Amino acid sequence: MKECYLGIDIGSISTKAVIINKSYQILSSCYIETKGNPIVAVKEALQLVSIPPEYQLRGIGTTGSARKLIGLLLNANVVKNEITAHAVGTLTYHPDVKTILEIGGQDSKVICIRNRMIHDYAMNTLCAAGTGSFLSSQAKRLGVDVKDFGNIALKSTNPTNIAARCTVFAESDLVHKAQIGYPKEDIIAGLCKSVVLNYLNNVCKGKRLESPIIFQGGVSKNVGVHKYFEEILKEKVLVDDNGHLMGALGVAILSSKVPNPRNYTLDFQNIEFKTIGEECKGCSNRCELVRIYRDRELLDTWGSKCGKY
Amino acid sequence: MDKVKIGIPRGIYYYYYGNFWKYFFKKCNMELVYSPSTTKEIVEMGSHLAPDEMCLSMKIYLGHIAYLQDKCDYILIPRIDRFDKENQTCTNFLALYDISKHYFKTPILNYNIDSQHDFLDGILNMKELKLSRVQCILAYEYAMKKEKEMKSRRENLQQQILNSSGKKVLIVSHAYNIHDDFIGSSIVKILKENHIQILYSDYFDEKKTNLLSKELSQDLYWKYSRDSIGSIPLCKEVDGIIFLSTFPCGLDSLVHELVIRKMEKPYLNLVIDDMSASTGLETRLESFVDLIEQN
Amino acid sequence: MNKISYPQLGSYGVPIYYLLTHVLRNEIIKPKEITKKTMELGSKYSPDFVCTPFKYTLGTMIESLDMGADILIQMGGGCRYGYYHELQEQILKDLGYHFQLINLINGGNHISIRKLFKEYPIELKKRGFLKYLYTTKKMVIYMDKIDHYIRSHRCYEKEKGAFNKLREEMLLKMSEAKGPIHLYHIYKTYLKRMKNVPLRETTKRIRVGLIGELYTLMEPKANEEIEELLNSYGFEVKRYTDVTYLLFQKKRKVKQYLKNFFIKYRMGADALDNIHHTKELCEDEYDGIIHIKSSFCTPEIAAMPIIESTAQQYGVPVLFFSMDMNTSETGFLTRIEAFCDMLEMRKQ
Repeated sequence: MKECYLGIDIGSISTKAVIINKSYQILSSCYIETKGNPIVAVKEALQLVSIPPEYQLRGIGTTGSARKLIGLLLNANVVKNEITAHAVGTLTYHPDVKTILEIGGQDSKVICIRNRMIHDYAMNTLCAAGTGSFLSSQAKRLGVDVKDFGNIALKSTNPTNIAARCTVFAESDLVHKAQIGYPKEDIIAGLCKSVVLNYLNNVCKGKRLESPIIFQGGVSKNVGVHKYFEEILKEKVLVDDNGHLMGALGVAILSSKVPNPRNYTLDFQNIEFKTIGEECKGCSNRCELVRIYRDRELLDTWGSKCGKY
Repeated sequence: MDKVKIGIPRGIYYYYYGNFWKYFFKKCNMELVYSPSTTKEIVEMGSHLAPDEMCLSMKIYLGHIAYLQDKCDYILIPRIDRFDKENQTCTNFLALYDISKHYFKTPILNYNIDSQHDFLDGILNMKELKLSRVQCILAYEYAMKKEKEMKSRRENLQQQILNSSGKKVLIVSHAYNIHDDFIGSSIVKILKENHIQILYSDYFDEKKTNLLSKELSQDLYWKYSRDSIGSIPLCKEVDGIIFLSTFPCGLDSLVHELVIRKMEKPYLNLVIDDMSASTGLETRLESFVDLIEQN
Repeated sequence: MNKISYPQLGSYGVPIYYLLTHVLRNEIIKPKEITKKTMELGSKYSPDFVCTPFKYTLGTMIESLDMGADILIQMGGGCRYGYYHELQEQILKDLGYHFQLINLINGGNHISIRKLFKEYPIELKKRGFLKYLYTTKKMVIYMDKIDHYIRSHRCYEKEKGAFNKLREEMLLKMSEAKGPIHLYHIYKTYLKRMKNVPLRETTKRIRVGLIGELYTLMEPKANEEIEELLNSYGFEVKRYTDVTYLLFQKKRKVKQYLKNFFIKYRMGADALDNIHHTKELCEDEYDGIIHIKSSFCTPEIAAMPIIESTAQQYGVPVLFFSMDMNTSETGFLTRIEAFCDMLEMRKQ
C-alpha cells in the first residue's frame, strides 16, 4: 500500500484541501468557500477529495486561521501556521524562489527566502485593506463578479488613483470616483494597482525583494494585480497554477515528515462536531470561551485568559 | 568659486523659519535651493520611505528631502528639541536629524536647538559653512529685522480681518499643515469660494499666543501646539473654528481633543490622511459653512 | 480622608502599594487588574488615535473611581505620555466624576515634594519615610533581577509553571517585608529556590531580544503575555526595559550611547535606547528581535526604520508589532509562531 497525506488550509474566505503522495505529487485537491463556517467547509472539502484505492492516508496537516480547531477535530499530526506552510510548499515546488508575495482573504504577507530557508517575513498590520475580502466587497459595490476583475482591469489604459490605505477611505474614494464619472474599467484597474502599491508600501517596507519572485494566494488569480506587480517591480513575477493550494501542500508535506505516523481515514462525515461559544462569568475578563465537542464528548475549551480551563 | 548650495525642504520648519532663512543665507552670500510645493509625487516619495504609521506631515517632509538630495551641497534640517521647559517639540522632530541621516547621503547642516543651545546658537553652530561669528551675527540681525517687518504686516492684516464684518473662520493648525499645498490649500480654496474670511493661527504674534494658551491648557508643553491654540482666545469675534491636523498626529490627537471639549463656538475637526484630501472634504466644509451662515 | 489610587502596570503595583500604604495615612485603593472591561471603558472614552497606554490607564482610572478613589496619580513623561493627565482629567470630569489628579512628572519635570503635600490632601506618616522609600526602591530592583532570571530560564523548566508559582509567592512575601534587611532575605531565598528549579538539558539555545515602547512591554495584558508565550516555545527572552532601567540606569546609559555617534541626538522616549539595544543584541548574537509598541507610538515609529536596517546589517530578523485594543489574538499568534518557526529553521 502506498502512503498519502492530506493537507487542509482553512482560511477566512476559502478552504483548500489537497492529497499528495510521497513524492509530493497532487493526487486530489479541492477549493471551496469557507462561508464563515470552517467545520461545514472542511466536511464538504473532505467529500470532494478522494484517496485512490491503492493509497493509505498516513498523515493530516492543518493550516490557516482555523488550523487549531480543525487540527483538533481531525486529530491532525501537524498544525502549522500559514507562513511556514506556504514557504515549505513553495520551496518544494520552486526551490529557487527567493521572494514569496502572498495576498489572501484577510491577510497579506511577504516571505523572503535565502539559502532555501525563511530568512525574513512580514504581514499586513493595519487592516484588511488591499486583501482579497476588500477586493470582493468592492466588486460587489461595483456590480462586477470578482472573477472578472482581472480581465476588466487589463482593458484599461488609464487606471484611476484610488486611496487603498484604509478600507473606509478606499470605499468613499471609490464611490466618489464612480460618481464623478470615471469609466468602470479604469476604476477597477486603479483598484488593482492600489492593491499592489498598498502592499508594497505597507507589507514589503524595508524588505529586499530579490528575484525569482512568486505571487500566491487567492488574489494571485487576478491577472490585473499580477500585471501591476510586474509593471511596478520591473521584474518577472511567477504565478503557479496551484498557487492557491500552496499552504495546504506545505502542511501535507510537513505531515509526511512526521516520524512514526499512524493510519487515518477520511470518514468524518458521520461524526458530529460542535462548537459552543459562551461568555465566562468567572471574572470581569469575561473571556469568550469556546467549547469543542466531538459526538458530545468535550474535546477542549479555549479562550480563557486565566488558565481555568 | 561657485556659491554653496543649501537645500531647504518645503515642509515642517520651512513654514516657521523659511522667511528668516531666506534673508540670512542671502546675506551670507549662499544660494538656496527649495523643493517645489508639495505635489503628489513628493507625497508618494515620502510615503514610500517612511514607516506606515508616521504622520502625513512627516512623510511629506521626507518626500521633500528626497527631492532635494542630489540638488544641493547641504540640506538644512534643523533639529529642535526645546526652547525651554514649557516649549518642547514633537518627538518626531527630535529624531528628524537621525532619521534623515539614515535615509539620505547628502550632508545635513549642524543646526541644533536644545536646552543648552538657543536659536542663535543653532545658527552659529553651522560650522560646515565656514562663516565667521561676526558675519553670522550681522546676518542674523538683518534677517531678524526683515522677519519682524513681515510678521507685523501679517498681524495687521489679521487684525483688519478680525475687525471687518462678514463671516470669519479661524484655522487652528500647525503652520506646516495649513500652508502646505497638499494638505491645506484645498480647504482654503473652498472657504474662499464660499466668501469666508480666514484667520490663520500661526499669523498671530507667537509670544502673545504662547502665553494665552494657558487659558485653554495649563500643562501643555509643546511650543507649536501652544502657539496655535493660543490664537483662540485672541479671536473671540470669529464665527467658527476649524481644527486641522494630519493623520495620525500624536500631539493634535490630545491637544485638539482637549480644546474641543472647551469650545462654545461651532467647530470642525478635520484630520487629513494620504490621498483622501479631496474626497468628502468638500461636503464637510460646505455643511460647516452653512452652519456658520445660519448663526 | 481621601482615597488614593494609581494606574496599573504589571507587577509593579506591589511596590507602589507597599510604598503608599507605608508612608501615607490615606486609604489606598489597589487598581483592578486590566481586563476586557477596562479596555472597553478606556477605548470608549478615548480619542481615536491616541496611543493605547492612554486607553488602558483611562480605563483603570474609571474603575478606581467607581471603587471610591478620589485622588488619582498619573506619572509619565518623555513623550506625549506626559500630557495624558490633562486630557484624562477633562474626560473624567466631563463624565461627572469628582476627584483630583496628581501628575508626578509633567513634560519631563518632576513635581516638587513640597508642592505635592501643600496642594493635595495627602497626609504623610511621620516616621519611616526614607526607610520605606529605600525599601521600595530595593524591591523594584530585586523584582527586576528575578524577572530577568526568569525570562532566560523559564523556557527550560521541567515542571510547567514552577517559576510562576515561586514568583507569585515571592511577591506576596515582599509585600509584607518589614524593612530592607528582611526584604534582602526574601530576595536571596527566592533567588536560591529559583536556581534550584529543575531544568531541561538543551543543546540549542534560541534567544530573542524584546524591545519597544515601555508600557506595552511591561504590562503583560497589553502585549498578550508575549514573554510567557516565547518561553513556552522554549526561547530565552531578554528585555532591557524595566523600571530599574528607566529610573536608575537610563540617564547614564543615554549619555554613553550618545558618545558613540551612531545616533547623534537624543530621540524621544526610548527610541535611542532601543536602537542601541538592537545593536547590542545583534553583537551578542541573539537569534531574533521582537519590537513591540502600542499603535501610534510616535517615538518608536521614528526609530523603526533605523532599528530595521541596523538589524539587517547583522542579518538578525526583526518582527514588529503594533498593539492595539482590538489586535486579533489569532493574527498575533500566527505571526509569533511563524517567527519562532523561522528562528528554529535558521538555527539548523
